[in-house]
Amino acid sequence: MSLLSLSNLTIRYGRLTAVRNVAFTLAEGEILFITGPNGAGKSSLLRAIAGVTPPAGGRIDFADHDITGRAPEDIARLGVSMVPEGREVFGSLTIEENLTVGTGMHAGEHGWRGRAADALEEIYATFPILKERRHTQAGLLSGGQQQMLVIGRALMTNPRLIAIDEPSLGLAPNITDQVYERLIALRAHRKLTLLIVEQSSTRAMMVGGRMILMRGGEVLLDGDARAMGQSEAMQAAYFGYGDH
Amino acid sequence: MAPRTQRRSVALRTISTPLILAALLVAFALVAWASGSRPFNQTVIDIFLQVIFVVGLYVFVGNSGVISFGHIAFACLGGYVAAWTTIKPMMKGISMPGLPDWLMQLEIPFWAAALAGGAFAAFWALVFGAVLMRLSGIAASIATFAMLAMVNSIYSNWESVTAATSSVVGIPILRVLWPYLVAAILAVFAAWAYSISRHGLALRAARDEPTAAAASGIDIPRARLIAFVISGAIMGAGGALYAHSIGLVTPDTYYLGLTFTTLSMLVVGGMSSLSGAVLGVLILSSLIQALRWLEAGIDIGTTTFALPGGVQEIALGVVMIAILMFRPAGIMGNKELTWPTGRGNDKPGEPGETN
Amino acid sequence: MGSVMQVVFDAASLGSLYALGALGIALIFGVMRLVNFAHGDVIAACVFVLLWPSVDAVAIVFAGNLPWFLLVPFVLAMGAALSVASEVVVFRRFRNANPATMMIASFALGFVIRYFLLMLYSSRPKSISLLPTLSQPVEIMGARIPLLQVITIVVTIGVLFGLTSFLRRTRFGLEMRAAAENFTMARVLGVRANRVIMGAFALSGALAAAIALILGSQTGTANIVMGANVMLMAFIATVIGGMGSLAGAVIAGFLLGAIAVVMQVILPPDARAFRDAFVYGAVILVLIFRPQGLLTARGTKERV
Repeated sequence: MSLLSLSNLTIRYGRLTAVRNVAFTLAEGEILFITGPNGAGKSSLLRAIAGVTPPAGGRIDFADHDITGRAPEDIARLGVSMVPEGREVFGSLTIEENLTVGTGMHAGEHGWRGRAADALEEIYATFPILKERRHTQAGLLSGGQQQMLVIGRALMTNPRLIAIDEPSLGLAPNITDQVYERLIALRAHRKLTLLIVEQSSTRAMMVGGRMILMRGGEVLLDGDARAMGQSEAMQAAYFGYGDH
Repeated sequence: MAPRTQRRSVALRTISTPLILAALLVAFALVAWASGSRPFNQTVIDIFLQVIFVVGLYVFVGNSGVISFGHIAFACLGGYVAAWTTIKPMMKGISMPGLPDWLMQLEIPFWAAALAGGAFAAFWALVFGAVLMRLSGIAASIATFAMLAMVNSIYSNWESVTAATSSVVGIPILRVLWPYLVAAILAVFAAWAYSISRHGLALRAARDEPTAAAASGIDIPRARLIAFVISGAIMGAGGALYAHSIGLVTPDTYYLGLTFTTLSMLVVGGMSSLSGAVLGVLILSSLIQALRWLEAGIDIGTTTFALPGGVQEIALGVVMIAILMFRPAGIMGNKELTWPTGRGNDKPGEPGETN
Repeated sequence: MGSVMQVVFDAASLGSLYALGALGIALIFGVMRLVNFAHGDVIAACVFVLLWPSVDAVAIVFAGNLPWFLLVPFVLAMGAALSVASEVVVFRRFRNANPATMMIASFALGFVIRYFLLMLYSSRPKSISLLPTLSQPVEIMGARIPLLQVITIVVTIGVLFGLTSFLRRTRFGLEMRAAAENFTMARVLGVRANRVIMGAFALSGALAAAIALILGSQTGTANIVMGANVMLMAFIATVIGGMGSLAGAVIAGFLLGAIAVVMQVILPPDARAFRDAFVYGAVILVLIFRPQGLLTARGTKERV
């Protein structure tokens, strides 16, 4: 039973086609890395799944709902939470306010505070640094702290699928390790399905799971990350030698 | 290719646009002249004046991409120059006693007043523009609106030289349409010449690709300022001629109503197209005329003033909103009218999409 | 002492009007980058809802006869309703348009509203007597201040506190602040775009109605162009306050009020008629030195 399924998905920006006829399914609880060089269409894919960029063609299903072209807030309500590239914290809001924004959809005005408080404690337990600085404006945080904040913020919506765009971008390797450590732990703990976009496949091979390699808007390879790492086909596809 | 010959080839390639537009205006004039109808004659004069205003506005808005709500202020400056320089000295002494002596004695022909009005407006455009052009898009638009209000507030209160809010009458009325036709055609050619000049090309490049243009050394505020001054001059001359078409001026002649009409015509025609500016005037003027006929019953009940009722303005507003919704680049989009066999119908300098 | 107090109260009450106006502009700009040129006409419309449509010079007061505790909510509700209607009918279709296009559309909408009022009520100013008890003077520290001025100031301060705590303490306020900073991201987190934008329009419309009540009582006339001046000052305040910053808009609004009143006092009598021109001039001078505005909002950079 698949949680997310894409068929024939095409995304265009004006005359430019960013993603062409992409199809794959993702089962509940799975971890999927989407890798590929710059301009492969990875971010566009995430944006289409989250409803930020409506696709030009094809279909996206999530948990038995056709979500193709639906509004981002509706898709979020179904249980998709996207962490966009460049993190995009609400810089003038405090950490706690950033975390709380996404909790609005699950409760009325009255139940809101209570539920938000419980969820907050859970996030703070995972990322203690956020609790320490809960009343700081998010714009003042370091890159690593902001990355933890946006992951925490995405989790606050209580999603079934969390889609993260380049969590390692601009972070020191040891910080990236920390971020991944927490993500893996959360996945096990919350039965989350993870969709992670990374430019390099190194991280996917370290963590394991399934990996899709994209290039020029198309899926080139789809399989087990570790097995793929050994294959020569992957090297060829990635660096563009061979007949590409 | 040397820049000079390059420019000449651009000029040759695009000259068809102002020629077609001029031919269109001449056709209107000939029809009005042949019909011999006074009200129709007056309507065509209004259309030519409106062409001057909309083309003047286009020179700045179309090339820079910055919306201006303030250009009618320059028409106001020009209109009062016409009042100061063409009314008989005796009458000036009564309505505007505060004028300096040399100005009080001055009595020049209408065309000289139009030139003087243009020069006066250009001077103030330089002064205001030097400040306003430093602002970014939206803030600049708001500031142009403040400029309009400022000029209106000064002219509505400066009793001794503008007679405050009362009408200044006695401006020699010019009822033949040829001078207006010539002025409208001159405005069209001036706008075309600017748009293919080095400055015009640079400004449009900056409009479409601000970062790239700044990186390639285009001084955007300066490029905008040049367009602002030229368009101010056209508006000033148009304002002076407008004064001659109705024989009087008040500050409110040149305020929000005229701003709205002018802007709506430019928007409907297409903000970044010279042909759009002219066509916008022709189309909306026809609409306004039709509405006036409907409001007045069957007769041609034309005066140059807005009729009571407000239906015209409401219809104009609705048309404008509808165009913005469904065709935000206006009827012409980025295109210009050219000969059907012409090489490309894009404007020189390959302007990209405006939106 | 008395005359100084008088100046202070004049400045504070004029500043209050400008601040309320600027807040109404900045709220909408914050959530959808729209510079709402129809705001002034919404203000005028809020006064005219109290009158029965007629083109006679004498106003036929209709809803204006309600007792104040019904009148005030009625006008506020009408302002909010008109503003929300403008969102639903017009601005919703411009969500993906660029700010310049939206700005022109709002300019056109303002004209439609204005000429609709003109059609129903004619362009002649009409004299009305709105909340007449408020024109009585009260004595404060040796100065005789019209009660209305005191109420204006108190109401504005109340509105500012109310709005601040609304934005800080409620879920809706939080969603609105998040949306003002990054609209797409807020939606990705499940914030309902339409609700937030309609909320901003409702608040902005209610603020316009508050201005209408104050202006109507102050001047005793209903005029279809009565909102234009406040709107212009409000625009300028939002530019000075750094587009999109609510606090900046309010502070700049009070600042403009203070400058205008001080100009009124220090200018020679001949030049007083040009007070507003001087204020615009002062603003232009400010912008030479601070083209980004005096108080630039963090994180809400203009995208033009």
